Amino acid sequence: MSSLLEAPAAIVRPEPDLAYVDEAVERYGRQPDAVLPILQALQDHYGYLPHAALEKICSVTRITPAGVSGVASFYDMFRLQPAGKHIIRVCRGTACHVNGAERVEDALKRELGIVPGQDTDSQGQYTVEQVACLGCCTLAPVVRIENATFGHATPERAHAILREFSELKLNGGGARSTEELLQPAAAKGEIRIGLGSCCIAKGSDQLFHALQDEVARTNAPVNVKRVGCVGMCHRTPLVEINAPGADRSLYAGLAAPDVRALVRRHFRPRGILNRAKQIADGMIDALLGVHNHEVISSAALRPQEPSVCDFLGGQVHIATEHFGESDPLDLDEYVRHGGFTALARCLGPESKPEPLASPLQAIPPSAIPDLLDRAGLRGRGGAGFPTGAKWRMAREQTSNSKYIICNGDEGDPGAFMDRMLLESFPFRIIEGMAIAAVATGAHEGFLYIRHEYPLALKRVRAAIKLCERRGWIGQRLLGADYPFRLTIKQGGGAFVCGEETALIESIEGRRGMPRLRPPFPAVSGLWGKPTVINNVETLAMVPWIICNGPEAFAALGTKNGRGTKVFALAGNVRRGGLIEVPMGMTIRQIVEGIGGGVRPGRTFKAVQIGGPSGGCIPASLADTPIDFESLRAVGAIMGSGGLVVLDDTACMVDIARYFLQFTQQQSCGKCTFCRIGTRRMLEILNRICAGKGHAKDLAMLETLAQQVAAGSLCGLGKTAPNPVLTTLRYFRDEYQAHLQGRCPAAACTALIKYRVLDNCTGCTICAQHCPTDAIPITPYQRHWIDMDKCIRCDSCRQVCPHQAVEKASP
Amino acid sequence: MSTATVTIDGRRIEVTAEQTILDVARKAGLDIPTLCYLEKCGPLNTCQVCLVKLNGKLVPSCGTIAEPGMTIESETEEVYEARRTALELLFSDHVGDCLAPCQRLCPLGLNIPGLLRQVQSQDTPGAIQTVRATLPLAGVLGVLCHHPCEQGCRRGHWDGPATIRDIERHVAELEDDQMFAGIQKECEPGRPSLAIIGAGPSGLAAAFYLARAGTAVTVFDRNKEPGGTLRMEQLPAGILAREISILQRLGVKIETGIELGSGVSLTDLLAKFGAVLVAIGDPVGQTALGLPLSSGRIQVDPHTHLTPLKNVFATGAAVRSTRQLVRVMAEAKAAADCLRDHLKGIAPKALQRPFSSVMGRLSPLELKHFISVNNAAAATTPCNRCASTGKSDPAGHGHPTPALQTLFTPLQATTEASRCLHCDCASSGNCILQHYAQLYNADANRFRSERRPFECQVMPGGIIFEPGKCILCGICVKITELAAEPLGLTFIGRGFDVKLAAPLNQTIEDGLRKCAKECVDNCPTGALSMR
Repeated sequence: MSSLLEAPAAIVRPEPDLAYVDEAVERYGRQPDAVLPILQALQDHYGYLPHAALEKICSVTRITPAGVSGVASFYDMFRLQPAGKHIIRVCRGTACHVNGAERVEDALKRELGIVPGQDTDSQGQYTVEQVACLGCCTLAPVVRIENATFGHATPERAHAILREFSELKLNGGGARSTEELLQPAAAKGEIRIGLGSCCIAKGSDQLFHALQDEVARTNAPVNVKRVGCVGMCHRTPLVEINAPGADRSLYAGLAAPDVRALVRRHFRPRGILNRAKQIADGMIDALLGVHNHEVISSAALRPQEPSVCDFLGGQVHIATEHFGESDPLDLDEYVRHGGFTALARCLGPESKPEPLASPLQAIPPSAIPDLLDRAGLRGRGGAGFPTGAKWRMAREQTSNSKYIICNGDEGDPGAFMDRMLLESFPFRIIEGMAIAAVATGAHEGFLYIRHEYPLALKRVRAAIKLCERRGWIGQRLLGADYPFRLTIKQGGGAFVCGEETALIESIEGRRGMPRLRPPFPAVSGLWGKPTVINNVETLAMVPWIICNGPEAFAALGTKNGRGTKVFALAGNVRRGGLIEVPMGMTIRQIVEGIGGGVRPGRTFKAVQIGGPSGGCIPASLADTPIDFESLRAVGAIMGSGGLVVLDDTACMVDIARYFLQFTQQQSCGKCTFCRIGTRRMLEILNRICAGKGHAKDLAMLETLAQQVAAGSLCGLGKTAPNPVLTTLRYFRDEYQAHLQGRCPAAACTALIKYRVLDNCTGCTICAQHCPTDAIPITPYQRHWIDMDKCIRCDSCRQVCPHQAVEKASP
Repeated sequence: MSTATVTIDGRRIEVTAEQTILDVARKAGLDIPTLCYLEKCGPLNTCQVCLVKLNGKLVPSCGTIAEPGMTIESETEEVYEARRTALELLFSDHVGDCLAPCQRLCPLGLNIPGLLRQVQSQDTPGAIQTVRATLPLAGVLGVLCHHPCEQGCRRGHWDGPATIRDIERHVAELEDDQMFAGIQKECEPGRPSLAIIGAGPSGLAAAFYLARAGTAVTVFDRNKEPGGTLRMEQLPAGILAREISILQRLGVKIETGIELGSGVSLTDLLAKFGAVLVAIGDPVGQTALGLPLSSGRIQVDPHTHLTPLKNVFATGAAVRSTRQLVRVMAEAKAAADCLRDHLKGIAPKALQRPFSSVMGRLSPLELKHFISVNNAAAATTPCNRCASTGKSDPAGHGHPTPALQTLFTPLQATTEASRCLHCDCASSGNCILQHYAQLYNADANRFRSERRPFECQVMPGGIIFEPGKCILCGICVKITELAAEPLGLTFIGRGFDVKLAAPLNQTIEDGLRKCAKECVDNCPTGALSMR
């Protein structure tokens, strides 16, 4: 047997100290439902779940061995074996996939010398894992090493990424935290900088600290303000400057070294001494030949610039109201912007905490569902169930306890709306949940948030604490005699937990396996009690609807979908980002208007909408308006709002295979159709992509897809075949081509070949980058590629300065 | 007050509060298949075989409350197809053989592992019954059969197959007073009797099956002695005569020396008998019968064996030339079945083979494991042929050909039978999955893909767990939960890789301290069994 197949030498580690188990148990309790938080704490502490620790849990709590083993093996975040010292997570979201994440992962593994079939290097330093989606789709492909995120990764950059990370480690773990509560000082101007996860990944927190330091140093009369997501993810880091008496100025793509020039350009330092210093600094810079001014000027982005106008033009901000202006954790500012007035109205005159103005006309709780009906609000999580009806159903139940759950388990690869809303508008979500509680008579709420969203978790936790400190939630709700407690539950990395009944199982401390509906959660949900589960975005819209009236909401959109919808626009599009548009806008308006179309030289082929449950809509149907019914009619669904644009470099069979691979991996394994059916479908697709498909495969695939859709137990299985069914419907010719051994988009590695063209100058750059020595180094001669050695990593084509390497499928 | 009802397939059925669709259907005698449903466990909703159609959607009937006024479809084409697909998907991931390969390959479906167990335990009457109930002219087959069973024997890839045919012959030579108990049926009075033309292998085999089923049969042959082509075979003296006498003891009448066409005509026979089966081999006689021919052979419907003439069936070499004796007999059996259906007034239908999941070939490593868990004791017992000649062949091929006249001694027979690996599933015949697969005519290979490795855990206390046969129904997990087993069972992993296991890396037996028997009894497949 070849040595490659032998297990690597085991990494010797000392027996773990189990004292921490007691600590975790003390914190989370001994009841069966504490299993997930306890295991999460142990995973964070030990880096894996030591067997002895699991045994100990069973002996000191009421959690059963079956509960521990079942749960520990269900969620992706748990490891039962020690991992390397540093975990490298390669995002496999849709946008990352279409931008070559697979090649990046291969390159990282090659760089670390990780043998195929293993995930950790022989020294136990690095473990490479795939992660469903990091939600940084506009930076695709994305790699995260511990807390450092690297965007736009390429196979050639693998070495640089690892070096950068180890340098970061040497320098003491990178940037300071931007998460402390900021004290605004009296100042005339404001520098706003977006600090969402994607912005941070692109270096905006370093920029933020540099700006703060510079302002402190020069004592300039300005506040540096952290704001939430700006939406224009394709231009981050984005800095907005509001100087007194001047138009606001926008800067895109600045870095820490540029801040001195930026501050100097807009603000005069206070005090003669500081001003003199500024002049002196300027002179020194000039002598040293530092020309930051040019950098600054080229980074300036006029708000009137067409690309900015187009991006922002068609948008309407409801869930994202005040985007890019407010500090996510500034409660006073939230109140100044009208926050909590909607809740105050629902609570009636009893609630009148300072500094809320006396509420407008009160709304009796019983009238809230009707109000949402009039607004036409439907769930933004995927299925579009009318929110008013759901709340009414829960309200009508006579039960001494009811629950509100905010579903923040956004697992769709290619979607990051919920993450952004939780990071940027935590108070709005809390308010939405509180209104749901008042409307239905619930006194306890849970926010179920993916563990992959550390910043969202942090901010929501801080926001809850701020509200509690002010006495606005907890024993009393906004001063009224209405107890309402909020708890955060962290997901464990299981897409299926986005399904509401699986989410309930997960909160109850079990494997996230869906239940049969009916009974619906609104009748019998968490611990068998009436439970309202709403998506983050749905809840974020509620305060706006109450403040502005249901008619204002209903006036937006069409009869098949009222109001707005937030989308994560990503993929092969020029201006990706987070957008909120009125329903009824066409796909074309979004892709070409807001997104600026595909990159030059490419043609727009399709959009994938609704993630793994959605479908691929071809460019020929781009005039389809985006609303619940119209999308369903063309075979897609609204989903939670991932909108991935595909150009002619995307292979539709590969896209279908990609999504099915995702759902198949994420299937809980409970019901026959989903567990085995999706697997068999995937095998057929793998065969087709490898050029080994049979003529009868298409019919078999289609039949099986229909059966899986009809026979699966929950939404995951019922919708999993959608990407396959829509691509079979609109792109059958591509499937046929694969059966004949050809991939029209030249994307399926088994079906492509690389060739060096005549214009090769023999510069040897490609040969130097080839990881498998498939290109002999022949200076000044036209190179050639040994296809037997070639692993189709695409490096040669990307590095060639003369575009002399061609990728083609026969 | 009017009673609340639901409509299933157009039938109105009364419902009471909180009844599921499955409850209602079962109380009304409708068979909705389920694998994962056990009343005390409540609906587990895992197998999805109990689907019914409600409001345009397929829903699991075990977990859906029957609300008054519902209209439910159960036996429609669409629902049937969905249930069949669910079963076929389960089989695509099922590692195991319902029937042992030897039995599956036997054209007559002899229960070989059962027979070998009887021989091994010296249950002579049982062994004789097994052979005599299935095989016509067993003694002849014991010499002449080309034994496809031995080609399928898993031991063939180890040290040579069990010599099944020799054991069969050994049993066929034995006499027992009870040899027809449970086989012989009195001819039902008033039933029309049947005529078979030709007392060759085909005709005699058909006569056997018909007589066994209680039909009066008369076989006509133009020769002086019955046996047809069998008379030309090299057979040990007396075997054929003995087998024919056994047939006669079963009630078969044989009239020889009667030439069709010259003395008696087909019309004469039809006047006297309810139906006629033409089972002649000699093509010369065909024209004399006046049957329509096509390219020199008697024209028949391939499924029903019916000739264009009313009440006349045909089989044997005059229809299709078949080389192997056992296949000729299998054809005759199929024809006999059609004849019986015809007499009962049922339209003859194509033969349905017994359903069996197929594990396929085992890798050398798997085979080693298979032998160690199935019959470790006999792993090194050499086959009789090698033992008697002293020429052992560990590679498993080239066994010495048996001498025609040698018979096994009783000891040799039991030793040889002990070499059987018992490849048949312990739950075959008692398996809900197999039962519904047969009923729904499932194709075990429709979605067949790369097989998981064969694995069998034999535990000291006698519990046997075969993960490859587990359909993850969850019944045992729920039973252990309800019984508050100290360790219990759980699902490990997620999705396609979910496994049933005891938690914390313990064994299944560790997890079943209190309710092992209950779990084994309620396992819908052969995943959990007791030694």
